[in-house]
Amino acid sequence: MNDGIDTIYLDFKECENILMIQQIEKRDGRCVFFDLTKIANAIYQAAEASGGHDYQLSMRLALEVADYVEQHCGTTTPNVEYVQDAVEKILVESGHAKTAKAYILYRNERSRQREMNTGLMKTYEDLTFQSAIENDVKRENANIDGDTAMGTMLKYGSEGAKQFNEMFLLEPRIAKAHREGDIHIHDFDFYTLTTTCTQIDLLKLFEGGFSTGHGFLREPNDIASYSALACIAIQSNQNDQHGGQSVPNFDYSMAPGVRKTYWHRYRDNLAKALEAFGLEEEGQEAAKALIASCEALPDLADENGVSEQIRARLLERADEATVDHIMSFTIKFARRETERSTYQAMEALVHNLNTMHSRAGAQIPFSSLNYGTDTTPEGRLVMKSLLLATEAGLGNGETSIFPIHIFKVKEGINYNPGDPNYDLFKLAIRVSAKRLFPNFSFIDAPFNLPYYQEGKPETEAAYMGCRTRVVGNNYDKTREIVNGRGNLSFTSINLPRIAIKADHDIGAFFSELDRKMDLVIDQLKARYKIQANKKVRNYPFLMGQGIWLDSDQLGPDDKVGEVLKHGSLTVGFIGLAECLKALTGKHHGESEESQRLGLTIITRMRERMDLESRETGMNFTVIATPAEGLSGRFVRLDRQRYGKIEGVTDRDYYTNSFHVPVYYPISAFRKIQLEAPYHSLTNGGHISYVELDGDPSQNLEAFEMIVRYMKECGIGYGSINHPVDRDPVCGYTGIIGDVCPRCGRHEGEAVSVEKLRQLGVYKNYNSTTIGYHGDPAEERDRQPNCICSANDV
Amino acid sequence: MQKEKNIVNQEEMVGEGVGFERIRRITGYLVGTLDRFNNAKRAEEHDRVKHSLNKQA
Repeated sequence: MNDGIDTIYLDFKECENILMIQQIEKRDGRCVFFDLTKIANAIYQAAEASGGHDYQLSMRLALEVADYVEQHCGTTTPNVEYVQDAVEKILVESGHAKTAKAYILYRNERSRQREMNTGLMKTYEDLTFQSAIENDVKRENANIDGDTAMGTMLKYGSEGAKQFNEMFLLEPRIAKAHREGDIHIHDFDFYTLTTTCTQIDLLKLFEGGFSTGHGFLREPNDIASYSALACIAIQSNQNDQHGGQSVPNFDYSMAPGVRKTYWHRYRDNLAKALEAFGLEEEGQEAAKALIASCEALPDLADENGVSEQIRARLLERADEATVDHIMSFTIKFARRETERSTYQAMEALVHNLNTMHSRAGAQIPFSSLNYGTDTTPEGRLVMKSLLLATEAGLGNGETSIFPIHIFKVKEGINYNPGDPNYDLFKLAIRVSAKRLFPNFSFIDAPFNLPYYQEGKPETEAAYMGCRTRVVGNNYDKTREIVNGRGNLSFTSINLPRIAIKADHDIGAFFSELDRKMDLVIDQLKARYKIQANKKVRNYPFLMGQGIWLDSDQLGPDDKVGEVLKHGSLTVGFIGLAECLKALTGKHHGESEESQRLGLTIITRMRERMDLESRETGMNFTVIATPAEGLSGRFVRLDRQRYGKIEGVTDRDYYTNSFHVPVYYPISAFRKIQLEAPYHSLTNGGHISYVELDGDPSQNLEAFEMIVRYMKECGIGYGSINHPVDRDPVCGYTGIIGDVCPRCGRHEGEAVSVEKLRQLGVYKNYNSTTIGYHGDPAEERDRQPNCICSANDV
Repeated sequence: MQKEKNIVNQEEMVGEGVGFERIRRITGYLVGTLDRFNNAKRAEEHDRVKHSLNKQA
């Protein structure tokens, strides 16, 4: 080692004058002035990293490099790579091993960053010139149309942000774990920007009106406005967050809209009747006065004495038969028009939630509506109308993709015959058997029930989108509610990889799992720190309009860190099945022993998160990860590393969270039994699915039996999958194999107009190119205008 | 009421190139067409088996 002992003075300017090399070729092909100082600086920095402090020596070595290059290149211009190789060579040959090593490390890091930059440009090129069919990145999220202008722009931003975040923000050990697939930081593109999701309390939002940042909206006065504003609230909040938007109390939220609609319809019809029967010239004012003189306002149940009081007043001026006519006319039409308006409002809501856009127009808001427990006639009418509108489908009878419906099942309210909303539970089953929604959540599940307080809808466990659950509150035990809260961020652990690496050693598996849990907790905290420093003005709707719990106490320049503590920081996992396969040779569907081990693994994760919650006073939870892009990414990386392992890496996806593998034949009941105990462990969210064959509309008893079995087994949230196909040409909805059972055409095949006419499904004479030609059978079932009373579904 | 002025050519064929729509659930969300599934989820959907209603199984 002779770093730092050479002290010969060199004048750099003089040296450059005697150099023969004048130019150097950069990586992009440009030729620039050959700057000896740059080489000397690079050598000095490398020497510094290994303890050297002699700039003169660095200059002397740089000169040696220049000599070497001159001798070997002659008159041709050297390129950067060549000069860098020469630096390494000179350093090694002159005995500066440590400096050489530091220089090589520095060079490699620069190359990696350069490759990332080039990689990003390559990604942009693919995004620009490939269609979604060719490009998997464009299909990362199935609800973004990657072929559209805004969809592509969104992907540019997203891919660029991911690289920036990895290069500039993540701690290197966390970046490495994320890059290599030990863990996966979800919504990584939004790392510095926002939080995941919120359960929006529309009741609170509507009270006194609200602003979207582009104008003030008055408190709504009619169910049509209630439903329109519900959509606007969901859309506005979606633009402030990267996850889904959920309404935990949709029935309770819309009921006041129905109530107000009924008042108005009652008044208007009373006014008409008063004029028609000759009691008044100006019915409106008289009707208003009559209603105002009562002790309450008219309502759908018509049991609060208002109609009796009005009747009594009218009897002072008209005979009994006339008054009977007036009153029955008023009530009949007020009810009929309210029912019609409510249905139309819910129909509009479903249409809006499938067509309105967020995120620069590239994506439909991820909307979820929870309902099922409001037993007032108004709340019941909302639910019934929403379910019927969903059953009817969109304009051409298509199944609507949004919102996700979550029917909250509760004993004593809707679960058993005789419960006030049992009829709606039955209707929910019928609609789900046709349209895949609603899903079913269970307030009586042992881990949901402790929060439940009768008469307080905010204590009814709700679910967001695909499965997220936020109800317990370690930060504020007095606020164990769903309203105004949600997940802040979540990161998933690659369980199969830990198992493969452990090589059947259970002890080693748990040690590594513990380390990964610690790593993820560190990462979640680091991300929370970034989120906590944001201000209310960064979230004009979420925080600015007081959607998030306690954000209404903050001003525009206040930081959101404290109120965010109502949210959850969550670790997720995928591939429990493959993990168990790797550890024991069998997954939890195949062996009781594996099931016990699976439960031990997830219990361990839960205990670690509970500990973190206790220590920090925040909400650390475990989620059964809904892996979309991730399901393929982890297994791809693991197959590259460990090869094809039977039952572990031999498919193109890892199994969703704790699910029994989709390919494994098992009865619906056994699957529910096996998955239920994981629901109680995954307090950050969970869902179980059952796949049914055939058309369950033809067997509603079986459908209900499964839902009831889920409830009895302690499932928190579940749903039933079944094929829903549609032929856009003849409009048939149901199961379609290779051939449409109605018009007999194969996929892509033409069918004669005559055939469609014979089937009675051809009516649009102008259309020869657009697929749908009408389906009278289906349209007959829609019945938009004849809704029976809310009390007899 | 239909507009009788539009006389339909009975030989006419419609629906050439029009595919069937297949709604499936993917990570909790419904998707109207398998085309938008990513490769892994396509494989997963392909592998899904139906669950029997047999209490003994």
